[in-house]
Parts: sequence; structure tokens; C-alpha cells
Amino acid sequence: MTNRTDKSIIQARNIEKIYPNGCHALKKVSLDINRGEVVVIIGPSGSGKSTFLRTLNQLETISDGTIHIDEVSLTDRKTNINKVREEVGMVFQSFNLFPHKTALGNVALSPIKVKKKPRAVAEQEGRELLKKVGLAERMNNYPSHLSGGQQQRVAIARALAMHPKIMLFDEPTSALDPEMVGEVLDVMKSLARDGMTMVVVTHEMGFAREVADRVVFMEDGELVFEESPERFFSSDNPRLQRFLGQVL
Amino acid sequence: MEKQSHLLLWKAVFVLIIIGLGFGIYAGSKSIDYTWRWERIPQYIINTEATTVRAPFDGTATIEKGNRLVVTSDYGDDPLVIKKFDNLLVGHGDLVFEGDPLVEVENWNIGPLTWGLVMTLQLSVVSLVFAVVIGLFAGLARISSNPALRYLSITYIELIRGTPLLVQIFIFYFFIGTVLDLDRFTAGVAALSVFTGAYIAEIVRSGIQSISPGQMEAARSLGMNYVQAMVNVILPQAFKRTLPPMAGQFINLIKDSSLVSVISITDLTKAGREVVSSTFAPFEVWFAVALMYLVLTGALSWAIQRLEKRLSASD
Repeated sequence: MTNRTDKSIIQARNIEKIYPNGCHALKKVSLDINRGEVVVIIGPSGSGKSTFLRTLNQLETISDGTIHIDEVSLTDRKTNINKVREEVGMVFQSFNLFPHKTALGNVALSPIKVKKKPRAVAEQEGRELLKKVGLAERMNNYPSHLSGGQQQRVAIARALAMHPKIMLFDEPTSALDPEMVGEVLDVMKSLARDGMTMVVVTHEMGFAREVADRVVFMEDGELVFEESPERFFSSDNPRLQRFLGQVL
Repeated sequence: MEKQSHLLLWKAVFVLIIIGLGFGIYAGSKSIDYTWRWERIPQYIINTEATTVRAPFDGTATIEKGNRLVVTSDYGDDPLVIKKFDNLLVGHGDLVFEGDPLVEVENWNIGPLTWGLVMTLQLSVVSLVFAVVIGLFAGLARISSNPALRYLSITYIELIRGTPLLVQIFIFYFFIGTVLDLDRFTAGVAALSVFTGAYIAEIVRSGIQSISPGQMEAARSLGMNYVQAMVNVILPQAFKRTLPPMAGQFINLIKDSSLVSVISITDLTKAGREVVSSTFAPFEVWFAVALMYLVLTGALSWAIQRLEKRLSASD
């Protein structure tokens, strides 16, 4: 137990996911992620990479296997999943901002309701976070009055407001217009520089090459291959080659 | 230009049709020799007739300064003091006997139609509050993953929507009302709120299901539990989306409340029926009653439109 406290903050072992309709989405997926590590997961659509990411905060339950987040078992019935989720921030492809709240309202809501922080404190922290993602001018705008890139940056600030130990990114730039991808990736890069543990599902190969400590390739619900970016992109694994040939 | 004049033309057509309809009503009443007696109606809404105060005992009237009438009793009763009146019917020093008119007080008495309106309003407001609570919980139960809750909710909704409100009112009053010893008002409110609750449950369900599942996922991923996510994220959005159908349901509730007159609650409709029997002016009374319902429903739909506008700030 003690020997992994400094190392693996996420331990996923032999994850199986079979949907009630028989679809076998994850097959014996195991992955350990260290504190402060940035892991990028790539793979064709339908490969199970988003499903795997969503099992890490139990938005998706698993059929078999074990997941430990910071030594807390997610499969243990006694675990309070809401407590775990406070530690694991998530950013979605479709932003999922709360449309009835302003940018600041989105960021401050959870600290107020879940962590029971006084409104003034939560809003002060929220303002600082929004400043950090470059949205100081936009705090009182409703999501419908923000561009996609701005919305996604608010979503990142909203997840950070809970002071998570881990950030999960589920294709954060896939729903964005090309000119807005950069601003979101920049925020993610600075987050990585600050030492955040990040798991990123993305199609941005440039980001993987530049920021990732490790790149994971998934296909057909299996974890096919994991390597450091340098070795990953120069690998001659045939399945990886086929995929990279299609996307690059 | 072309478009403009067309619009004007069609607006004129609208006005003409309305005038035509009005004339139709007038001609219809002419053809059956109906004499309109609108002057009989206002007193049933607000009665301005003066009331007469009569002497409760034999005695002597004195008018004190400051225009106070004091009647001192011959038999040692407490003196009667009247401070405010409009017409004095006795003079200073007059001997008065029990039952003699002393003064006239002009006051505005609320007429039976207005009392009916107040009763309808009370019934509607109380039922509305309960209906919203019932509807909210039934709607949430309807989409619950717990089969017991879900089937209970479906049974409730189907049972209530599949039977006439009039029958439900009779059941509530004669059966449940007798078993639980409910008064008329409570039985009426119970029937109306249970009936309307079933419809609101379906509105709530469709409202919640219209919110993208991503909203719940985002709220849960931030550490909120199911109830926190519902209260802070899903329901506020669903509330806004369901306002238009809710407004329709609330208006229906006001109108449906007229059915409780069958269990002898003197609401606007029953008051109307009573006034008809004392005025013999059914057309005027029912038109007046319709107008009063229209005032209630109109005010409600205006208020909800205001609310919708205010909530549209985030659009």
C-alpha cells in the first residue's frame, strides 16, 4: 500500500465494460497513472477511450476489474463517489456549462453547494480562476453569449474550482471551431506545467507530442500500446501505424 | 409598402369580424325578445346600498359635539355610541324605541359574485400550490430508477388522467370526504390538486427529460449528489422550459375549479347560478361571470409571461 503513495494516483486494473445490449466496450484495460503525469489517450472513434475515461470518475460503471483513485477503491460499495468526484475534475467535449448561470456562477456553484464555501469566498476564487483562463472580462456573461473556446475555458475553470487532484479531458477541442482550439490547448498546457495530473482523450497529435508524458493507443476496447511521445510516434506497431496514417 | 397595406387590410378584417360577432349576439337576443337588464348586475358585485342602524332598546338620542350620536337607555343598558354615519334620521333629544331607524351608513358591501370570485381564487391558489408539489414529486418518481416509485407514479397519472374530474370530485367528497371527515373546501381542494398534479407530473417529466444528460453528468462530476444536481442544475432549467405548458395547466385549474360547485362550494359559478335565480337575468350574469374568470386567467397568463421574459436573460 505505502509504496505507491507517491507514484500511482490512478490505478485501473483489468477494467471490463459490457453494456446491457451486449456491446463489449472495454476489454481488460489496465493503466497506472502517476502523480503529476500527463497521459494522452488516442484511438479511433468507438475504441472505448471516452468510456475508459468516464469510468475513472464513475460516470460509467464497470462490469469487472478495480479502480483506485488516490488509494480509494471506486468499486467498494462503502466509497462515497461524490467525495471522489470532488478530487477528479472533468471537462466534456460539449462543454456542458450550466446555461442558467453566468460564467462566474458556473465556476462558483459547486464550491458553494458541495464544499459549503461562503458565496463571497467562492466568487473571489472563481474570479481568480477565470482570470487565469483569460476570461476576466467575461465573468458575468451567460454561456450563450460566449464562443465555444470561451465556454470550454469556463468549463476548465469550473472543474478547477473544486481543487481537484486529477483532471480528465474528454475530447475537449473536438466541438470547437479550428481557430479556437489553440486557446483551450494553451490553458491545458499551462495546467500541465503547473504539475496537474491529467488524462486527456484527444485527436490533437501536436498536443500529445508536446505535452504528454505518455501516450496510450486504444482500439476495439483494448489498450494496445503505451509509450513516451518520442517512441510512440516513431513506433512501427502495425495497428498504430494504420491509425496514424488515417489521422495525420 | 405592398406588405404594409396588406397587414392593415387583414387587421381591418379582424375588427370587422369581431364587430360582426358582437352584432350577431345582439341580433340573436333581439330575435328572442330578450330585454337586457345590465343595471341589475353591479349590485351583485359591489353593493353600495346604505344600511340602516336601528335602535337596540328604548331610550333618548343625544347628539354630542364632534357629530356623535349617543343613545342612552331607559333601562340602564350601556349607551349606544355611533361615531360615523352618513344620514342622521333622529334629532337631538328625540325619544327612540327599540327598532327605530337611527342613522344610515353608506358602505360598500361585497356582493355574492365577488365572494364567489374570492372563493374561486382561494380554491385555485391553494390547489395550485398542492398540485405543483404533488406534480413535482410524481414527475420525479416517474423518471426514477426505482420500479416501486415509477409504477406508483404511472398508476397515479393514468388513473387520474383517465377519469373525469367531475367523477373524482364526487369520489373525493362523498367517499374519501366521508371516510376522513373532510369539509367541502378541503375535499374540493384535494380533488383539484390531485387532478392537476397528474398533468403537472407529465409536464415536469418532459421538462426534465428535455435537459441534456450532459448537464447531470457535469453536475455529478463536480461532486454534487443527485438531489443537489436536480435542485441546482436540472430543475431551474426545466422550470424555465415548462413555463408555457404550466401556464396552460394553471389556467385550466382556475376553470376546472368551477366544477366544485357540484359539492355546494359557493365559487364564482355557483354564485352566478344563485344570482341568476334572483335576477332572472341569465345572459347578463353569465357574461359577467365569464368576464370575471377571464380577469383571473388573464392576470395569471400576464404574470407568467412577465416571468418568462425575466428568465430569458440567459438566452
